[in-house]
Amino acid sequence: MKPAPFDYVRPSSVEEACRVLAEAGGGATVIAGGQTLMPLLALRMSQPFVLVDINGIAALKGVTRVEGGIRVGPATRQADALRDATLARHLPVFVTALGHVGHYQTRNRGTVGGSIALGEPAAEMPATAVALGARVEIASVRGTRTVPADEFYLGPYMTVLEPDELVTGVVYPDWPDGHLVLFREVAQRPGDFALVGLVGALVLEGGTVSRAGIGWFGMGPTPIRARQVEAALVGTALDRIDPQTMARLAIADTAPFDDHHASAEYRRTVGARIFARALAETLDLRSAA
Amino acid sequence: MNIEAKMDVGGIGAARYVGTRQPRKEDGRLLTGRGQFTDDVRVPGMLHVAYVRSAVARGRIVSIDLDAAREMPGVQAIYTQADLAAVPVSFQTFFFTPVEAPVTLLADGRVACVGDPIAMVVADSRALAEDAASLVEVTIEEEAPVVTIADARTGALVHPERDDNIAAEMGDEDTRLAIQPLLDASAHVVTTRVRHQRIAQSPMEGRACLASPEGTNEMTVWLGCQSPHLAARWIALVLGMPTEAIRVIAKDVGGGFGLKNIPWKEEMAVIAAAKLMRCPLKWIEDRFEALTASSHARDQDVTLSVGFDADARLTAAWCDYACNNGAWPMGEDANIAVHMFMWPCYKLPAYGFVTRGWYTNTMGLGAYRGPWAMESLVRETLLDKAARRIGVDPVELRRRNLIYLPDQPHTSTLGIPVEDITPGECLEKLVANVDFPAFRREQAEARKEGRYLGIGVATYIEPTGAAGSMAPMTGETVHLRIEPTGKVVAMLSTHSQGHGTATTMAQVIAEQLGVPYEDVAVYEGDSAIGAFSPGAAGSRQGVIAGGATWKAAQLLAEKIKVVAAHLSNASVETITIDGGMVHVAGAPEMSRPLREIAEIAYGEPGRLPPGLATGLEAQYRYQPPPMTMTSAAHCCMVEVDAETGFVRILRWISSKDCGTVINPGVVEGQIAGGLAQAIGQVLLEDMPYDARGNPLAATFKDYMLPTIFDVPDFEYLHASTPSQTIGGMRGVGEGGCIIGPPTLVNAIADALSPFGEIDELVLPLTPARILDVIEQRDVSGTRASEVVPVAEVTAPVEAAPVAQVSGIDGDWNMVLKTPMGPQAMVAHFDCDGDAVSGWLEAPEGRQAFAGGVLSGNQLKFEMKVEKPMKITLKYDLTFDGQTVSGKCKMGMFGSAKVTGERG
Amino acid sequence: MSEHRIDLTVNGHRHSARVEARTGLGEFLRDTLGYTGTHLACEHGVCGACTVLVDGVAMRSCLMLAVQADGAELTTVEGLAAPDGTLHPVQQALKDNFGLQCGFCTPGVAMTLAAVTRDHEGPGLEEALTKAMSGHLCRCTGYQGIRRAIRQLAGASA
Repeated sequence: MKPAPFDYVRPSSVEEACRVLAEAGGGATVIAGGQTLMPLLALRMSQPFVLVDINGIAALKGVTRVEGGIRVGPATRQADALRDATLARHLPVFVTALGHVGHYQTRNRGTVGGSIALGEPAAEMPATAVALGARVEIASVRGTRTVPADEFYLGPYMTVLEPDELVTGVVYPDWPDGHLVLFREVAQRPGDFALVGLVGALVLEGGTVSRAGIGWFGMGPTPIRARQVEAALVGTALDRIDPQTMARLAIADTAPFDDHHASAEYRRTVGARIFARALAETLDLRSAA
Repeated sequence: MNIEAKMDVGGIGAARYVGTRQPRKEDGRLLTGRGQFTDDVRVPGMLHVAYVRSAVARGRIVSIDLDAAREMPGVQAIYTQADLAAVPVSFQTFFFTPVEAPVTLLADGRVACVGDPIAMVVADSRALAEDAASLVEVTIEEEAPVVTIADARTGALVHPERDDNIAAEMGDEDTRLAIQPLLDASAHVVTTRVRHQRIAQSPMEGRACLASPEGTNEMTVWLGCQSPHLAARWIALVLGMPTEAIRVIAKDVGGGFGLKNIPWKEEMAVIAAAKLMRCPLKWIEDRFEALTASSHARDQDVTLSVGFDADARLTAAWCDYACNNGAWPMGEDANIAVHMFMWPCYKLPAYGFVTRGWYTNTMGLGAYRGPWAMESLVRETLLDKAARRIGVDPVELRRRNLIYLPDQPHTSTLGIPVEDITPGECLEKLVANVDFPAFRREQAEARKEGRYLGIGVATYIEPTGAAGSMAPMTGETVHLRIEPTGKVVAMLSTHSQGHGTATTMAQVIAEQLGVPYEDVAVYEGDSAIGAFSPGAAGSRQGVIAGGATWKAAQLLAEKIKVVAAHLSNASVETITIDGGMVHVAGAPEMSRPLREIAEIAYGEPGRLPPGLATGLEAQYRYQPPPMTMTSAAHCCMVEVDAETGFVRILRWISSKDCGTVINPGVVEGQIAGGLAQAIGQVLLEDMPYDARGNPLAATFKDYMLPTIFDVPDFEYLHASTPSQTIGGMRGVGEGGCIIGPPTLVNAIADALSPFGEIDELVLPLTPARILDVIEQRDVSGTRASEVVPVAEVTAPVEAAPVAQVSGIDGDWNMVLKTPMGPQAMVAHFDCDGDAVSGWLEAPEGRQAFAGGVLSGNQLKFEMKVEKPMKITLKYDLTFDGQTVSGKCKMGMFGSAKVTGERG
Repeated sequence: MSEHRIDLTVNGHRHSARVEARTGLGEFLRDTLGYTGTHLACEHGVCGACTVLVDGVAMRSCLMLAVQADGAELTTVEGLAAPDGTLHPVQQALKDNFGLQCGFCTPGVAMTLAAVTRDHEGPGLEEALTKAMSGHLCRCTGYQGIRRAIRQLAGASA
């Protein structure tokens, strides 16, 4: 299990990285933490001509407040993001989800952007970006563009990123301090990809849900935003929310599949249950599932 | 956690090491990165091997294009079977009998499973070898594969030259005629079916081989194995080389679990290629290969029916067992041991079975910790199901049927004698230490809150330390000496892939000799050291090597005493050895360090008693009783989350009788390791194949081993009834992996009982399959698609028209398919009318028979044999011109096939 | 297939080497530098056996390229014990508690436990160590001795 041969470059700026990507004409792959890419290389499932290491680009690291949100540099190590005070204070849902990514050792090297750009449908970070309405900032020699997270994913490990493009930032819109965290994951072992999982944020104003962002992972070919249930929740008073009804709506947006770890029917059945339970507990509803 | 540790320890020295948690001798090097695993060894000029493997399960190789690969810089050679055929090999089973499937080093014209090695690339580095391997173009004319046991019954022949896909077969459908009426007459009949998934043994270190030719016909092989001695003998046999020409070294091996009992295709191809190239070659199996192309285990489909009388006492049982042998099993296997060991610890009046191994186009079957473990799984889960059905407590049901000490000696219906097993006593100890009524109250309370707790119990016995009835299963030799420095050296043929044999053997020696544990060094892991033994196989090392060291140390102590008595002018009885000092009773001033005695024994022979050999050495080979039984009862408590189907293990208590415990830390480590693997089998691990014969768990993401969060803290009760062996040990290596699965399944089934029975136990019990039971519908999506077993209809055999027999007098070359592999023999028949006499000759010797009866073309005769045990063989042969076929009824072993032709 | 010169320290020893871009850090440590205590058991980042410290941080050496360790300070299991041979408390705890059998996964386990023990502040060390163990597979011990070793380490620091 040794990777096929490749060239390695370590650019020190985004511009240089984009230039290398452009020159490679589709034969380049970006490596950040490498925690998922390295196994793909070792198994020769990925065989780039050039590996572009973005760990030397300072501009791609760190967490900053920006107009209307929080920007996370894609090369920010997961362990660093977990310890970040800004995220802990203003985006606890992000931190909760990140804590379930991989293991201690892989979080020490793995990056936030790597997880997001890779597009594993059962992973926590893509679904979190989708649920929270994050925007993915993308650069290439052709210019820059921003793509909403829920338009970023096309299928398992497939995104809108062109071969010459680089993710340069992920911007999470502001969620008011005190937003409620919705998170459940059913995985057979800690650190495994989820059989089914959900992540989201809810804002309450005067006993009514005023804003909701909810995403599923492990429930289809991409992370899935549960738009129907979001719409049903927003504007509804807490005492009128029936978790079971909401769970049915939440499931309606999913498209789970069978694999040898679990069936689609299991994912739907258990997905509805964890949704109802998470919703009831998060909103402290008496009619808990 | 040790609830109660009671040791029965002997020993002559004041310092007691046996029964204590001595720190392991192996740990110093392993903890500091100084171990020597095969991949850590480098030999000058060494080249690296990678394999080109089949991506299809079955087909004819049309072409292999090596041109592009050969041109790659750094590639030194590429071999196909056409090249390696220059080194003749004849693959053997672990039992040193021929493998029946036409195993070759590399694919010979056909591929029979995904992962089948087709070509071997030798290059300057492994990475280069893999580069070149990816350039080899293989064209295969793909055929529809035979993947499951059901496929094998009806599908194409896996090995076209064979008659059918039955790899091995024992037992007798006719017995059913005797069993069925007993079942019909029983008050209750309970039937259960278990489908055990395919397991990848998954030692943390994969297979590994470094073959270094030395001289013209000698070879040093560093090998990941379970016994350098067995491996050396096996390799020599397979290659037709003298045993002394092969030296196998395996200092550290990262786990074996049965997989590394014998080398297989890849290791042997490395050795053969090293012979051809005359240079050292290394192959280190990567995890992708380890999961998809190492021999697998289990993959069984078993149905057991058991009758009970109105008092829940056993009346009769019938079992139909099938096992997927894959394409290239490490010995065709119908797993007769499942049937042999299913009932010796229970009072069962009648038992019958048919048991078969099936060839398929999947990776071959290998051994795995407790290869016969199905007997406990199917029996113990059935007993719990019966207890629920009949309305008896599971413990009570076992009490009514188990063999207790006062019931012994006892012989099972299949002829297995037991005289000192304690499954009942282990169960009583368990019940005395675990508050079952309190758990039942807690369970009832929890159910009111929608929480589902369950408790499961299982009991079993296990044959360990086998010696003398199968070719590789032998005694153990220890070579023990005290160096002139006073330090002790033991040379052993034990082998640790984690077993800690250097530790436990040193404990026995230190105690029996009266020296500090720290002063004993144990050398093992090299076929050049010690005498033949199969190392770690069949839970035997503590039992047999323990007995050997026990006795050898006593012999050496006697010699020391003789010398010391002579030097001190005292009588031998007054001498004691303790803490490395030699004392004379009543004369403390005459105490002297062992070193002084040793210096004299080696350097001043004139001071020794006349006629006594110089030096301080002893050698002893211990031949233990043929089998030593270990018993246990386990209990486990779980909580099942009815919403998600997840299982949480709350407690697990082991009540085990493994006789004298040399080192509780090591013994508990063996039990725990086996139990963790049991948990993996029940809940997590699975190597599924798709319909095209592709293995679906190619990484550790998909093949899920238990993590620290999946395994609870185990609690131990040691029963410790000394066995009949020197030292009184009983084997402990495999037990956890045998009794663990039914214990956990029973706990889960108990938790699920408010919802229904687990009708058919399909492993692993994934969360989805548990929801199947809870919701009584097909949540897992596997129930509907599962193949319904085709009832085995055995059409009555039409009486064949009596053919004209042109006399059967003379010699016939026959093959008897025994449980240990095919046995070739020459049969000679002399007819006098219908009366036939003659002899059978096998390598072990010739035995005559008389009283045979020939009717038409059918010959029946009987023959009594002593080995492997006393049984009467009943032959029933049918002659058809120049060929003969039929069966041989082998007492408890059931029936074995016989084929042959005129000699 | 580019080659790169790298300079790094391993257990305080300076090394310079030329490496192929594709060479993994674990493979480089073992095959080029001879630190064979680092074991490669899965080469795809699941088992944890190859864990080493890179600039003091526990990482899987199979999920890093050697070229990415240019300029780094590495610690492998060979560098854990004191120069006089005294075992690191983590090694001692594993030894005291039968925390290993075959020893193949052990080097990685030891490196993780050492890093967490060193970095953890305040209460909850036992939980932190146990959680970090989710990134390690051991096929022999059933984790019993490792868990006891963790309790010993947590007790010693409490």
